[in-house]
Amino acid sequence: MDSPIDSRQAFRSFNIISTTKGVDGDRDALDSTNAYRFGGFEGSAKYRLLSPFKDPIGVALRLEAGYLLHDEVDGLDQHERYIKPEIDFQKDFLEDRLICSVNFGVEWAWGKQPAEQYPRELSFEGAAGVAYRFAPNWYAGVEIHTRWEYPLFDLYNFEHRVFYAGPSIHYSQERWWATLTWNYQVYGKGVDEPADGQTFAEETRQLFRLKVGFNF
Amino acid sequence: MKSEFLFIALPASVLIAPSAFAVKYLTVEQAQQAIFPGKSFTAMPVKLTGSQRKAIQQASGVRVLHDEQQVWRVSSGGWFIVDEVVGKHEFITYAAGLNGDGSVKQIEIMDYRETYGGQIRDQKWRAQFVGKTSKSTLKLDSDIKNISGATLSCRHITDGVKRLLAFYEIALKH
Repeated sequence: MDSPIDSRQAFRSFNIISTTKGVDGDRDALDSTNAYRFGGFEGSAKYRLLSPFKDPIGVALRLEAGYLLHDEVDGLDQHERYIKPEIDFQKDFLEDRLICSVNFGVEWAWGKQPAEQYPRELSFEGAAGVAYRFAPNWYAGVEIHTRWEYPLFDLYNFEHRVFYAGPSIHYSQERWWATLTWNYQVYGKGVDEPADGQTFAEETRQLFRLKVGFNF
Repeated sequence: MKSEFLFIALPASVLIAPSAFAVKYLTVEQAQQAIFPGKSFTAMPVKLTGSQRKAIQQASGVRVLHDEQQVWRVSSGGWFIVDEVVGKHEFITYAAGLNGDGSVKQIEIMDYRETYGGQIRDQKWRAQFVGKTSKSTLKLDSDIKNISGATLSCRHITDGVKRLLAFYEIALKH
């Protein structure tokens, strides 16, 4: 009953299919490209330090790693490997039906060429969100996330930063779940392609994400 | 041309976890006989007033979600109550049997619809509630042990019982 397993969720989520894309691309040769394809493999492990269900605030360490076969913006072939440690904070209200979360992470990525100019990049990422269970099985929420990129792992070599925000809706049954998210780039600044408060060198104006999960 | 859309369809995620699926374990009649075998029951539903709700919330520290409580008077004395608490995705329905003095006789999980946390049906875990009264602490990791992987369910059932014991003191005892 007192086993510490509760605090470890190793490889609880393992993405066997990753990205597809449909981009009216910024890169000239890729304009109006739309396609779906197998994106790669992603996995994560989570270690919970404090539980949001019994401690004043939930704190967890999460480690994500992946191998991606295509650039997620323009779909170019690549062999990207990345690793991303992050720290998650979660505070629940209303019998855990209202969930507030914030997380911060750092990503090291290799193999980003030829889709991007540099072979490796360091990124700082952060996100905040609120979700409310408005009916059994259904959550609706809003989220904002940001990403700051530094090519060649060089903190003096700033490339771009971007902020996305938007709503999401989540449905869950005992054996499967789905989350649909729409994000809009509310602010972006890039050294490669300054564009009046938004950046498109490696980012998009809008982003739709559909995740489907199965429990077994 | 600027980027317009990025459509990322689906990481189809595979969650590696113990599974429990929607199961109706006990009907009301079965739960009644499991807690008070051989006894008869008289339905006495209770509709809470605003002040009673507030008093229960203050006494237990737990929010009252419903105005009406399903209650039965047991022929031998004591009470049988059907209640529900929030689960991760749906409500968890459970029954609590109270002795004539208001202490917990037994609790039974009637309906559980979550993927995780079905271990709350474990008899040893439920036995921790036996004898608890409105004066008991009823706090997870204090006088009620948690079950790893079922923390949310344990917490909400514990809070639910604490609320029911306050409900007994305020709405049933007199």
